[in-house]
Amino acid sequence: MSGEEEENAAELKIGDEFLKAKCLMNCEVALILEHKYEQLQQMSDDPMNQVSQVFEKSLQYVKRFSRYKNPDAVRQVREILSRYQLAEFELCVLGNLCPETVEEAIAMVPSIKSKGRAYDDEAIEKMLNDLSLIKKFE
Amino acid sequence: MFLKVQCPWNVIIPAENLDANELMLQKSIITRLLEDFAGKRATKELGYFLAITTLDSIGEGKVRQNTGDVLFPVVYSAITFKIFRGEVLEGVVHKVLKHGVFLRCGPVEHIYLSSVKMPDYRHLPAENPVFLSDKMSKIEKDVVVRFIVIGTKWLEAEREFQALVSLEGDYLGPVS
Repeated sequence: MSGEEEENAAELKIGDEFLKAKCLMNCEVALILEHKYEQLQQMSDDPMNQVSQVFEKSLQYVKRFSRYKNPDAVRQVREILSRYQLAEFELCVLGNLCPETVEEAIAMVPSIKSKGRAYDDEAIEKMLNDLSLIKKFE
Repeated sequence: MFLKVQCPWNVIIPAENLDANELMLQKSIITRLLEDFAGKRATKELGYFLAITTLDSIGEGKVRQNTGDVLFPVVYSAITFKIFRGEVLEGVVHKVLKHGVFLRCGPVEHIYLSSVKMPDYRHLPAENPVFLSDKMSKIEKDVVVRFIVIGTKWLEAEREFQALVSLEGDYLGPVS
């Protein structure tokens, strides 16, 4: 990143290394951490003692803030959002916050309306509809 | 934002733990890597380290002079959590003060929302103090709040991040 002052996720300025990095939605992290925790449970009587504070707090957080619980639904959310040529970061913010209207989606991820991006309100609306359908059928 | 990152690391295996059996050696390397990882906590660049997901490669070991320990360069993938300026997140209020509230979000413990950055809300002192808006929306302990990050700070000594957040913007505030 050229200078820390310039970081602004709203304009998708988060540094090249993070633009290329894979971001994960809360629901995806929940699946991974829960699986890790189960593995520990099988090996130890007191698994909470085996994990770091960072792990414990993150697990509590993603359990509370996952919009989708079912692993199939989680996979579908990523698959559907991947069709819309979003940056990883944008994809995950949308999957985490599940905006209900086009206006709300743009407020949460202003970069989707920035110059040179091809989204009209109709495309965003369709994306949000697809997302709410997964929730309905979960 | 939770990130999946790839990191290089040097695992040092003491001479007495070396084993000609490849599986046993791999086991020592993994055990040692997990121990090192557990003490890592966070870095300024990548944020908080949650868990290792895979060990991607183990390089050729190099014998260290004098001790006879062997150093193995490895590459692993891990999940981290880093907080970005401009990012919209949800967190939980854990302390209400006169001039603002503290929130928690994932592994980040100190997220401050100043009353200056929530102009619609007024502080009501009581046994359980709250911030109340004209529209009767309420910010109190254990309430979930959606906010935008306006500044982050890395504390090298504590190895943790702090953040300043705001409710100035559309669709921000307490979430029911």
